[in-house]
Parts: sequence; C-alpha cells; structure tokens
Amino acid sequence: MSLVLVTILLPIVSGVLLFALPRTSETAARAIGTLVAAATVVTTLVAGESQWSFHWLSRPFTAAFHFGATPISFWLALLLAICTACAIAATRVSRTRDMVALILLLEGAMMGLFLARDLLVFALCWDLMLIPVFFALVGWGEHPATAWRYLIYNFAGGLTLLLATAAFGVIYGSTDVIGRSAAPFAGGWAEWIYAGFAFAFLVKTPVWPLHTWMPPTYSGLPSPMVSVVSAVQSKAGLYGFIAIALALLPAYVHAFALPLIILGAISLVYGAVVALVQNDAKRVVAYSSLSHLGLIVIAVASGNPLALKGALVYIVAHGLFSAALFIVLGYVEEREDTRSLSRLGGLGWRNPRLAGALCVAALAALGLPGLAGFAGELIILIGVYQAGYVWAVIVALIAIVAASAYMLRLYQDIMNGPPDDDVPVRPDLSWREALAVAPLLAALVAVGVYPAPLLGAHAAPVVTTSSRTP
Amino acid sequence: MTMPFTHADWAAIVPVSVVAVAALLVLLADFFVSGERGRYVSIVIALIGLGVSATLAAKQFGHNHDAFFGGFMTGGFTTVFEEIVLLAAAGSVILYANSGAAQRVAGTIAIMLWSACGAMLMAGAANLMMIFLGLELLSLGLYALCAAADRRTARESALKYLILSSTATGFLLFGMALLFGATGSVRLADLVTPMLIYNPIYWMGAGMLMVGLLFKLSMVPFHSWTPDVFEGAPLPVTAFMSVATKAATLAVFARFIYAALPLGVGDRLLIPVWIVVGISMVAGNVGMLAQTNLKRLLGYSGIAQVGYILVALAGSTPLGLRYALYYLTAYALMNLGAFAVASAISGEGEEGAEMRTYRGLAYRRPWLAAGMTVFLLALAGLPPTAGFLGKILILASSAANGYIWLGALLIIGTAISLYAYAKVVRVMYSREEAPAGHEVRPYVPLAWASAALCAVAVVVMAFYPLTPSNILPLVR
Repeated sequence: MSLVLVTILLPIVSGVLLFALPRTSETAARAIGTLVAAATVVTTLVAGESQWSFHWLSRPFTAAFHFGATPISFWLALLLAICTACAIAATRVSRTRDMVALILLLEGAMMGLFLARDLLVFALCWDLMLIPVFFALVGWGEHPATAWRYLIYNFAGGLTLLLATAAFGVIYGSTDVIGRSAAPFAGGWAEWIYAGFAFAFLVKTPVWPLHTWMPPTYSGLPSPMVSVVSAVQSKAGLYGFIAIALALLPAYVHAFALPLIILGAISLVYGAVVALVQNDAKRVVAYSSLSHLGLIVIAVASGNPLALKGALVYIVAHGLFSAALFIVLGYVEEREDTRSLSRLGGLGWRNPRLAGALCVAALAALGLPGLAGFAGELIILIGVYQAGYVWAVIVALIAIVAASAYMLRLYQDIMNGPPDDDVPVRPDLSWREALAVAPLLAALVAVGVYPAPLLGAHAAPVVTTSSRTP
Repeated sequence: MTMPFTHADWAAIVPVSVVAVAALLVLLADFFVSGERGRYVSIVIALIGLGVSATLAAKQFGHNHDAFFGGFMTGGFTTVFEEIVLLAAAGSVILYANSGAAQRVAGTIAIMLWSACGAMLMAGAANLMMIFLGLELLSLGLYALCAAADRRTARESALKYLILSSTATGFLLFGMALLFGATGSVRLADLVTPMLIYNPIYWMGAGMLMVGLLFKLSMVPFHSWTPDVFEGAPLPVTAFMSVATKAATLAVFARFIYAALPLGVGDRLLIPVWIVVGISMVAGNVGMLAQTNLKRLLGYSGIAQVGYILVALAGSTPLGLRYALYYLTAYALMNLGAFAVASAISGEGEEGAEMRTYRGLAYRRPWLAAGMTVFLLALAGLPPTAGFLGKILILASSAANGYIWLGALLIIGTAISLYAYAKVVRVMYSREEAPAGHEVRPYVPLAWASAALCAVAVVVMAFYPLTPSNILPLVR
C-alpha cells in the first residue's frame, strides 16, 4: 500500500477504532491519537510526492481516487499533521476519547483534501470535513445555532463546488486535473464554474461578508478542535484558489481580481477593527484570523509570483501561530474557567511558562521580525506592490499596525497586571501541555529565520499561471 | 386447440409467481405455528421466497423477451426494477420482527408479498393493461396494509390513501382509454406512431397518464397525501410504500418517456413535468423542515428524492437512466436502513417515529445512532455515501443534457434539506438527556442486521459506482 494512502487512511481508521476504546480511558485515547498524528507527520515526510490512484468513474467523466502531494500541498499536509498532533496532545475536555476521534477523522478528511489530485475527490473531502466539526459543535458547542450556521454556510459552499465540479467534468471530460500542467480551461460555462469554485473557497476562508459563521464557530468549539480548524481548515479555500482556480481558470482569476482584492481588504480592516474591541479571548483570535486571511486573499488575487510565494509562507505561518494561540487560550480557559478579557489578568506572575508560550505566539501573529508571520507579510506586501495594487499595500500596513494593538492587548489583559483575587491560582504548564505547544513555537522560529524551503515550493506552477508579472 | 401463451411467456413471470406462492406458504405455515415463533417463521419463509425470486429474476438479466403479446417484457430494465422491489419487500418484511400483533403478522406479510407482485408486474409492463393490472394489485394490498394497526391514524391513513389513490388511478385509466382510442392499441410500442402528434385525443390521454403517474410519485401539486398516509400506516408498510411504490411507478414512467413517445412529443409533453419536478425538489425539502415525526419527514423527503431521480431522466439518455437506477438503489437502501433503525427502537404500542424517541440515542445505542447518521447524511448527499456520488452523477447528467436549471434547483433543495436531516442527527447527539420513560429497548437482531447491511452497502456503493449497462431496449 502506498504511503500516501496510509497518510489519509491511518487517521480515519484509527479515529473510527477509537470508538471501540472504553469511554473512560482518556489518557490512552490521547496517547494513541498523538502517536497516530505524529505517524502521519512521518508518512507525509517520507511519502514526498509519490502518488496513488484507483479508478472511480469512467462516465460521464473520468475520475479517480488519485492522491499525491504537489510542492504546495506537501507543506499544507505537513502543517495539518503537525497541528493535529499538537492539538490532540493538548486535548483535555469532557469525553476526551470522542473529541480525539473526531479530530483524527477531521485530519483524515483534510489530508484527503490536500493530497487529492482529482477535483471530484477534492469536492468529496470538502464535504466530508464538515461532519466532524458539526459533531463537535453539537456535542461540545455552547449554542445550537452555531452548529447550524457552520453547517449551512459551508454546505452551501460545498454544493456550489459540487455543481461547478460536475459541470467542469462534463465539459472537460476528466476531473483528474489537480497538479497537472494542463492547458487552462475555457468555454461557455467557464465564468459560472469559476463563480461556483470562488463562492465555496470564499465561504471557507472566510472573507467579509461571508464570515458570519466563523466567530461563533471558533469561540464555540473546544480549543483543540478549533486550533486545527483555524490553522488548517480555513486554508482549504486558499489552497483551492492556488491549486484549482489559478491553475485551471487563470484568466478568470485575473479578470475578477479587483473584487477579490477589495473583499480581502475589507476583511483585513474589518477583522482588525473588530478584534480590537472583543472581550472574548477566542473571538479576538477569530477576528484576527479574518484579518490575516484577508491579506492572503489579496496576495492570491494579485497574481504576482512573489506574492504567491509569500502567500504560502504566510499560510503556514498563520496555521502555526493560530494553532498555538488557540491551544494556549485553551490552557487559560481550562485553568480559569473563563475567556473574558475583563475578568482575566495577572496570570503571568504565577505561570511564566504559560505567559511565555502566549507571548511567542502573539508576537508571531503581530509580525515581529524573526518569526514566521513577518516573513510571510513582508514577501506578500512586496509582491502586491509589484503587482501594482499600491492602495492595497497601504490598507494592509494600517491593519498590520492594528494587529500589534489587539495582540498586545490580548497578552496584557491575560498575563500582565496585578494578580486578580477573583481568579483562582492554578499550576503552571505541565510537561505534557508544554510539549504539546512547543513544536508549533519552534516551527514559528524556524520558518521565520529560514523560509527558503517554502519559497522554493512555488517555482513550478507560478510560471504557468501568472500573467501580471511586471 | 393450441395454447395462446408459450412456455417462454410463463417463464417470464416465474419470479413474480415465486413471490405469490411464498405468500401462500406464509399463510399455510400460520396454521401450524402461532405466536411469537410464528412471527419469525413467517418472516423467514417470506425472505426465502424473495431470495429465490431475486435469483431467478437475476437470470433473466439481458434476456429480452416480449411475453404475453407485449404485455410483459423481460430484460435488463425489468430485472433491475424487480430486484429493487424485492429488496424493498425484504427490507420491509424484516421490520415485522418488531411491529404489529403476532397473530396478524402472517396475514399482513402475505398481503405485502402480493403487493410486491403487483409492483414487479409494473416493472416489466409493456402495455397499458399490464400497467393497470400491476398498479391495482399493488394498491389494493396497500389499502389493507395501511389499515392493519389498532390506531385511528392507521384507518385515517388507509381511507385517505384509498380515496386519493383511486383519484390518481382514475386519471391514469382515463388517460389509457384515450391513448387506446387514439391508437387502437394498448401496446406501448405502438404509441410511437409519428402521426399521433396531430391528434388532440392523444395529447389529452398522454397528459392524463402523466398526471396519474405524478400523483403516484407524489410530485407537487399532487403530494399532500404522502406525509399523512406515511404517518398513519404501520412502520413496515411505510417503508414498503416509500420504496416499492415509487420504484414501480418510476419504472412505468421511465418506460413511457423513453420508449413510448413519438418523435417531437417529448419536448412539449415533458416540459411541464420537469417544471413540476423542479418545484417538488424545493417544496419537498421545505416541507421537511417543520416535521417532528420521522415518517412524515421521510414522506416529504421522498417527494424531493424522487424529484432528484427524475432529473436524471430529463433528456431521456441511456446514461441518465443508469444514473437514475443507481440513485434509486441508493435511495432504497437509505430509506430501508432508516426505517430499520426506527423499528429497532420501537417499543410496545410506540413506533420509533417521534423525534423525542431519538433524543440522546447516541448515548443509549451508539451504533444505531451511527447507522441512522449514515442514512440521513446519505439522503442529504454528504460523503462518503452513495447519496453523494448519486447527486454528482445526476448533476453531471443534467449539465450534459442541457437541464442545468434542474441541477441548480436540485442544489437549492439539497441545501434546504440538510437542515432537516441534520436536525435529527443533532437530536441524537446533543447532550440533553433522553426524557424519562425511554428505557433502552432490547436488541432486535433482524432490524439491527438489516440496518447494518444497508449502512455498509450505502458506503460501499460510493466507491464502486455499479450501474447496469445492459438495460435497453425497453419495448419491442
């Protein structure tokens, strides 16, 4: 059996088998889950760009269960595997076994999404990855309406993706097209097909005004699950833009670039402004995500090769720091039973390790040089400037200044100030908790200092897709 | 004097006869074994009969024979529909393991098998008489079956079904009479004469036939009887009606529009039909939203699901017919599985149909809840189930045949339906404790086995899209 297939099936099969474990064996579930996710890190690295294919449909168009990493999806798969391993290691919620199983199922579905070389398989995994999150929202969420909003929004996106895929398959004859240097697609329905893809991708990312499902989902999910969702699932749409829309329909991405950039810019500013005034710590990070992902949408839409390279770096960087932020905020909530910034305060005195972890993650999020966020932002801004969208760069710079404000506010309100008598004092991070977040922080430093491997990944597809190179 | 029918004619309906004989054996066995053991003896005899019939029907696959002077045509198409009807009958008969009073089970199973005979005749009917004969055999049994429960709603359901179904039959019969008047023949094969396009009697007849069929398929605006009848009928009967009746009527509908329309008629006659189908897909799914009873929910769901299947037939391409058969098979498995789960959690005097029965099911019976989740997600068209692939195939077919607007309506309907299906999932998995009085029901091995088989089949079908290729021609 191919290693690619193992990478996808291992988490799914182990996730299902975990339900056979006794409900009370939480430590065992967490240990097994962490080991499985760590194993997928290894298999992703070893599998490299090998491929595996199994015939599925021959009519009305050919489709195959065709999996294999491309230079871009390799990094996303790696990010997914690392974030999942850390998130599971950090899991401590009620019914831990079920949560670990759901996170593993989510990993499997997303692994399939990123490694899919067939558009129909991509659409299948796109819908598949909604289900574990829906179950988590139903079983652990704070409000039932959140689960509905998540499901309906994303399923609507999934359906337009499905219709566009079906139309594409009928016209093109095959959906086995991801990562191939095929001729760009054109035809009578091409605009509509692009519209179907773009809607699905924009809902998932999300951008303003399709983002309303996102803040309640991020604050309602338990922190291990949300760290995976925010770090990786939100990248599915961006990956779709890069691997599908830019590769197959480049002319339409360029033709409709301006609306995308405007939407990205609005998300960038809107997210930053709203993040400044949130009281719920998880919502601060949720809106900051909206803002950061808006920047990546601008980068992708600008079509500049440098901006695209920066987009990949920033995708990975955002994945790492948002996973770390949500895991650390989960630790805080576990200790103090609240996420309200007005109630928290002064934790830093008694919990230096907790404070240190949050500090590194927050600094990466606000774009401190030397950490991953900075590398991505800088390259994107240069690229977008080269592409001629100077106003977008100026808007982005304002939002990046605001990022420092809300990230530092988040850190100060939780860690600094006098210890609050109202908030009970709990022990600092245990070894398990520290080890769960350490790989993410280490990776943030590594990517910040040496982003070269990520920059090299883009070399192949960009040449064929960019037409706006100055 | 020579016999008018040859040996080959009789051989064509052997699968039907086997089912009819099995029903007699069920009644016979009831004399010797009674009580709870009698219940299982009846079910086993019925299942064996259905199994033998399925084997014999499978042997006719690919043997196109026009029996009884064009009355009943064997071949790929007939075999596939017969198998689906037999599957529906088996899946419904099994539910009697946990439904109905023991002393009445043998009689009801026998009637259900005879109803299945009618549905099988419709699957192969190639002339108007046989269509009507099959339809009446199917419906007469169902009137009795609907009433076979000690509840007022059951009698209400039976009466409602009798009156409305008779109305539909009236339309159908009048349409057939007009078609006969226009052509002088009852054979579907003779309806393709090009001159008919100028004959107003033909148009009236074909139109009324269509109305009758849409009534039976419960398409909008002839749909309002379905939820009421489904709610009142006993659980196994609802399961049978939701699959077998629809499958048999679909067989007649498909044969009519594929093989019995003169050139140029299809475009004009069928446009209103496709509009009705488009409205049904949205209306059926909207109707589901407010339901708190699983049987009513699946009643509305069936309206939309049959709509999806008809979308595959739009354009009358052979490939579209194959996708329709694929989705119909998947739909049969999903529905039978969902009803098997409902039967497994039924108790004394209460069917597992009310939504409150499902509250917290995941914490009492995790496997049943997981199975139900698979069926509901499949009905909503989520992966990794046959419902997902079926939707893709139908969407592709609609795009390829120029009916992309039907595909778009299908998408809208599906988006609405997800809320209704997922609501059941949420009820099963939410943390609210189950209300008092809902103790864990004992295991019902047959219902559990049926649900498990359906769940596995629904998932496996997504990866092996087996669609029968050898199904044409439909008439000779």
